[in-house]
Amino acid sequence: MQFIYFKVCKLSAKPEFIEAAKTGNVLARKCIKCNELHLATVYFCSKCGSKEFENSILKGTGKVVTYTIMTVPPAGFEDLAPYAWVVMELNDSGIRISGFLSNIQKPEDLQIGAVVKVVDFDNRGIILEKS
Amino acid sequence: MEKVCVLGAGSTKYGKLEDSISDITIQASVDAIENAGIKPKEIQAGYISNVFGVADKQVHLGPVVMSNLGISERPSLSIESACGSGSVSFREAFANVAAGFYDAVLVTGTEKVTHAGTDWTTTYFSYCSDFFYEGQAGASFPGLFASMARAYLNEFDATEEDLASVAVKNHENGVLNPKAHLRKKITIDDVMNSAVVASPLKLYDCCPFSDGASSVILCSEKFAKEHSKDYVKVIGSGRGGSPAALQGREHLTTIPSTKIAAEAAYKMAGITSKDVDFAEVHDCFTVAEVIDIEDLGFFKKGTGATAARNGETKLNGSISINPSGGLKSKGHPIGATGVGQIVEVFEQLTGQSGERTVNDAKIGLTQNFGATGASCAVHIFQSV
Repeated sequence: MQFIYFKVCKLSAKPEFIEAAKTGNVLARKCIKCNELHLATVYFCSKCGSKEFENSILKGTGKVVTYTIMTVPPAGFEDLAPYAWVVMELNDSGIRISGFLSNIQKPEDLQIGAVVKVVDFDNRGIILEKS
Repeated sequence: MEKVCVLGAGSTKYGKLEDSISDITIQASVDAIENAGIKPKEIQAGYISNVFGVADKQVHLGPVVMSNLGISERPSLSIESACGSGSVSFREAFANVAAGFYDAVLVTGTEKVTHAGTDWTTTYFSYCSDFFYEGQAGASFPGLFASMARAYLNEFDATEEDLASVAVKNHENGVLNPKAHLRKKITIDDVMNSAVVASPLKLYDCCPFSDGASSVILCSEKFAKEHSKDYVKVIGSGRGGSPAALQGREHLTTIPSTKIAAEAAYKMAGITSKDVDFAEVHDCFTVAEVIDIEDLGFFKKGTGATAARNGETKLNGSISINPSGGLKSKGHPIGATGVGQIVEVFEQLTGQSGERTVNDAKIGLTQNFGATGASCAVHIFQSV
């Protein structure tokens, strides 16, 4: 599936990235020249420097790489703490993304390697859930 | 390329300061000018590093400083690279003196945020992250470093107590530094029993929010020699970058920009990590110091925490790390920190460090990064 981005690269892919996240997917860009895969928010390939991409929809399921449990949160998150902020690695592609995971009180509630998935995107960024 | 030297250094106390950001910036600058034994008119340009001047109603600090020094006609600029602003500013000044554009310049780093309160500061500091993926999703800076700490503890044979030993050591050094923010000894138990901020990091794993300003006079070697005063040579300068977001990094227990900057600085200086007598490194959180001392080549990957626990990084240990007390105890006024590290190295190499003197030190290194190490600068200094 090839989208218009390689012709109109000045447009941000964030709206489409957010829409994909809302349906549990991660929008990625595959470099047409070297096949390197990136999150759709990049403008140039980090491997070969090309800006010609085709879109790739990745399933938002993967494993926890690392995380923290936030007990002293930034503004806007006061009523949500404690919660986890998680770096996860998507299955198959190895692409990493990070996001917000609610209802995590203590380290025993989440393990490195646990299966998590993208379920939404809102004013808390990418929303994750434990599978 | 001209050889570049530090001719003088000065600093306000770090902590909660009453004076305005413009006042503390000027005070540190005057301190450095007097320490260098020069007249303001000899300064040809000003480099000011600052992140949150907006919090104290003053951005565009350069002209305010220069005007108060009686040299309003001299050019100045402000540089922002998050917590790495000070060393970036120093690097730009270094490059301009090395290129021969200027003979002597003022480099002053400054920050004033404590009056804004912890909530404001936690929130605004999170804007230094890759906000779309990190700050927006509720990650604060303690949270981002806590994620690195969890990865480190999971990957290597290290404990939370080992990380705590970094804080204990830096507080020991800070007690000896009259300008440090937190001048009190602490124990491993104090750290372990302090409130969890972002697990596994606790309050005493974190540096404080501080106000403060630090300043140095940077000049050509010719200019330094003409002023017949103690000076220190800048023998290495390197910068590097990392993916802005942690998710973009293959390994979360190393900071790529530090390695890139260190390699460039060592190469320019013609030395290796073994030649360094002491270092001021970016210990915004205890885990950061552990990662730094590995990335700089002082300790093998995965052994930094053990080295800290065994006392190897203590003052006059096998390598003195953060004799000033580091960000942890000396304090972290983010725009000033990178310059403050250079002030410490200058004082160490010119015999002005009092009780916290590193014995027989000839070569000192500074490492200062922005955010989670998305940008980093490393500088190496040698006594004359």
